Amino acid sequence: MNANDVIEAYVHDVARQLPRRQRNDVAFELRALLHEELQARADEAGQAAEADMAIALVRDFGQPDDVAARYRPAFTIIDPVDGQRFLRATVIGLAVIWVLGLLTCLCQPLDSGSAVLRMLGQWWSGTVMSSLWWPGLLVIGFGGAAWARRRWPQGHAWTPRNNDRIPGGRTAMVMVVISIFCGIGVLIDPRWILDMALHGRAAPAAYDALTYTDTFRHRQGPCLLTALLLNLPLMCAVIVQGRWTPRLRQLELALGLVTCALMLWAALDGTVFVGEASDRTVKFMLVLLTVISLGSFGMRWYRGLRPTPAPRTHALH
Amino acid sequence: MVTANSTNLELELRRGVVVLATLSQLRTPRYGYALRQALADNGLSIEEGTLYPLLRRLESQGWLQSEWKIEDGPPRRYYALNDRGRALLVKLTASWQGINEAMDRLLKEDDR
Repeated sequence: MNANDVIEAYVHDVARQLPRRQRNDVAFELRALLHEELQARADEAGQAAEADMAIALVRDFGQPDDVAARYRPAFTIIDPVDGQRFLRATVIGLAVIWVLGLLTCLCQPLDSGSAVLRMLGQWWSGTVMSSLWWPGLLVIGFGGAAWARRRWPQGHAWTPRNNDRIPGGRTAMVMVVISIFCGIGVLIDPRWILDMALHGRAAPAAYDALTYTDTFRHRQGPCLLTALLLNLPLMCAVIVQGRWTPRLRQLELALGLVTCALMLWAALDGTVFVGEASDRTVKFMLVLLTVISLGSFGMRWYRGLRPTPAPRTHALH
Repeated sequence: MVTANSTNLELELRRGVVVLATLSQLRTPRYGYALRQALADNGLSIEEGTLYPLLRRLESQGWLQSEWKIEDGPPRRYYALNDRGRALLVKLTASWQGINEAMDRLLKEDDR
């Protein structure tokens, strides 16, 4: 391979990554410029242009991918400002999907080594590989948000807002209160859902599946009902105040932690429903709800600003 | 590590002036290699891998015009400022002078 071949190969590798309409023109110009640069180096060295010299020249010029990218206008799908959030959402989402998938697979009987390997294979193909929809969805979401910011910059200008505001306003809080009433109804008698949905025409087995055990009805049930009822005055106070005051936030946190403890108690100690499948499902939901709630409280604490900065150990000079 | 970081910062500093330096040398038509030589002769060496794609980008953004010419050698693409490019050069020059004066004052304060 001589110097000319080196330059030809390099120009080809750059040009093939360029849009068709500018490919030939850029290739022609790049080839001429590289030859001129090479001749200048050869003249300076006082020798004929050789392949080694040409390789050194194009390596100084840059990787063909990088050079081709420099010829094109900058193109970003996810804005750098969203990079960290995208990475965090991807990692957390994948971790949740993989752990939930693994827990589901672990519910199968694992009585031999081959059963474990089969379960892992099932987890890999059924959960891990198919979980790639999540980063794909995030790319579409973040890409769309970046495009909207560039397209309508005025609409995304920063506006001051109170940190103690109610997300969604009072209407959202009224919806929360309605949801709590529905939750109370379900907690008192979950078969009410069947009556609502099927007007009493559900199969007797369905009613049996949603029948509480005596243990739950007398132990965890009343405690959970009390915790749920206590949310009502709290939400009403937020609606009246029109904002989350620090005291209301503290009450919400305390009540939330108590509710999480009660849900864990119900999930781990005894049975909730007479039906085995419905019991397993509701316990899974209770654990999931606890994890999400605790994660939400933890995230709020982690992201919250401390009233005073950490004390400095070194004075400024 | 300190050297690598300082090199990156220096590159970042230079990157900010590459466009203005390039525009300043294109009041008259020049082709890529001659432009790089002109900049180097004036004390500003710009890597060829940075300069040549930059010329294309500035042209596609509408600041430069170009044409192929044959003048005592192989065909070369000559770039020059168009009307928009000249207006941009005036604007960037004013900004640069303002920044330069401010930096002069700031750096002199540090010398005291």
